[in-house]
Amino acid sequence: MTTTTTTALPGLTFGGILNSEWIKLRTLRSTLWCYALIVVITIGLGLLLAGTADTAGTAVPADAQQAIWLQVSTLGIQFSVLITSVLGALVITGEYGTGMIRSTLAAVPRRTPALLAKALVFGVATFVVGFISVLATALATAPVLASRGIHADFGDPQPWLVFLGGAGYLSLVGLIALALGTIIRNSAGGIAAALGLILVVPTIVGIIAGVTKADWAADLGQYLPSSGGSQMYNALQAPGAVQLEPWQGALVVITWVVVLMAGAVILLKKRDA
Amino acid sequence: MIQAVGLTKRYGAKTAVDEVSFTVRPGMVTGFLGPNGAGKSTTMRLIVGLDRPTSGAVTVNGSAYAGLRAPLHEVGVLLDAKAVHTGRSARNHLLALAATHRISRARVDEVIAITGLESVAHKRVGGFSLGMGQRLGIAAALLGDPATLILDEPVNGLDPEGVIWVRHLARQLAGEGRTIFLSSHLMSEMAQTADHIIVLGRGRVIADAPVADIVALATGTAVRVRTPHAARLTELLSARATVTSGAPDLLEVTGLTSPQIGELAAAAGVVLHELSPVAGSLEDAYLALTQDEVEYQAGAR
Repeated sequence: MTTTTTTALPGLTFGGILNSEWIKLRTLRSTLWCYALIVVITIGLGLLLAGTADTAGTAVPADAQQAIWLQVSTLGIQFSVLITSVLGALVITGEYGTGMIRSTLAAVPRRTPALLAKALVFGVATFVVGFISVLATALATAPVLASRGIHADFGDPQPWLVFLGGAGYLSLVGLIALALGTIIRNSAGGIAAALGLILVVPTIVGIIAGVTKADWAADLGQYLPSSGGSQMYNALQAPGAVQLEPWQGALVVITWVVVLMAGAVILLKKRDA
Repeated sequence: MIQAVGLTKRYGAKTAVDEVSFTVRPGMVTGFLGPNGAGKSTTMRLIVGLDRPTSGAVTVNGSAYAGLRAPLHEVGVLLDAKAVHTGRSARNHLLALAATHRISRARVDEVIAITGLESVAHKRVGGFSLGMGQRLGIAAALLGDPATLILDEPVNGLDPEGVIWVRHLARQLAGEGRTIFLSSHLMSEMAQTADHIIVLGRGRVIADAPVADIVALATGTAVRVRTPHAARLTELLSARATVTSGAPDLLEVTGLTSPQIGELAAAAGVVLHELSPVAGSLEDAYLALTQDEVEYQAGAR
């Protein structure tokens, strides 16, 4: 035993914890499956829609052509958010389910850095996968659409903002699920909560808004992660409608992430592992 | 060096660890013994900060575990075989843990070799036997080459060869001056490994002494007497000792030494065929100590 070597060793660093979480993320099959599914579904749905696009022989304005192309490219996001909801929850609840969390927290006893590193690694990885799949879809569908009289323009900055927004939404939804998973600590519960927030809550709020005609319900609907998120990659700013700008949509989703993550950190610090 | 002072942990109305104070010293193997449910695992989780004490405190090398700059280099811990994600390979599990402290790949392969996991290192942990899981847990505990090792039931699920291996490993590491703290509910296991024993019963420390002292607790407490005049001798001794009868001519006397019994019998003219102190074993000492402390007694009240 040498206490002198202990002081010379690098010890616990945030960079090390990030690396650890990166190893954890890429060495599980569930991660690889989910990410592969996102790429395949996004490209597949895009090509399917592009292949069936029909302008009915009429000339489409350049703006609308661009919008159709971007919608085709980001169609898969709607599906992919369900996958990242599941994966985001599993990234942490898988550790609770198997007991791995005790190894994780014994190595990082301050706990918060472990969760933040996990969020950062998972968030960036999901963003990259999302961006690649949307970009690949845009590239793959452009020639298909061009043969149908719809021409894509990569030179315009707007497509890039849409791609970034779509990938960003995908990543942020994953983080919402990760936070919910940390709070609930159970795979089934975490996944149900995340999917419920993304899928079910908007429907319920929509029904309430429709039945009661209450302004608050309509307003609330705007500030749900799903509606905020859809504005992040919305290529069609419908004229006249009260809508959030893409950056406002992003702010809504980021607020959800920050609030839920704060709750997750507090509970993670407080509870016994 | 592990120091617990007034360590208490309550889960709701149940007190798992009750005002526990002890010191685990370097350079020796300290056994942590107690029946199932006595609070051994809880105490170990409290040491590494996984559970928060209701009151009291525990430190490792003078500071709280969470305050250590490089926890894996100071304390290696095997909590239970199931602190591993089942979907990951053994090597990847160790690589991920090692990465937090920038421990090299070479060290990862080294602990894999030390624990004899080479052949299964690339297999997913989900398919591991209990014994292999234990070896992986011990490998993880050794990663940081720590000065303190905390092993919760390390021989659980190991084959006889594995049990001997753990025993040697614990002795060797203690010989290097490290602090070794290992729990078991088996006294016989401790007898062969530990230098010092802390016995826990229902969340309280009921003994904290060198192994020899614990053995002494059980030695010479009972004397076996074989005599054709069992009834007379019982009458003679029962005023000063507890006498139980095993067979018609066999008595077990507690509270008097062999010479005292011999002299009393000679004075009364009682013939003795046998007079022998019952050799105490660690097992007996343990049972004597924990008799009232067993949480889940068979056919309990």
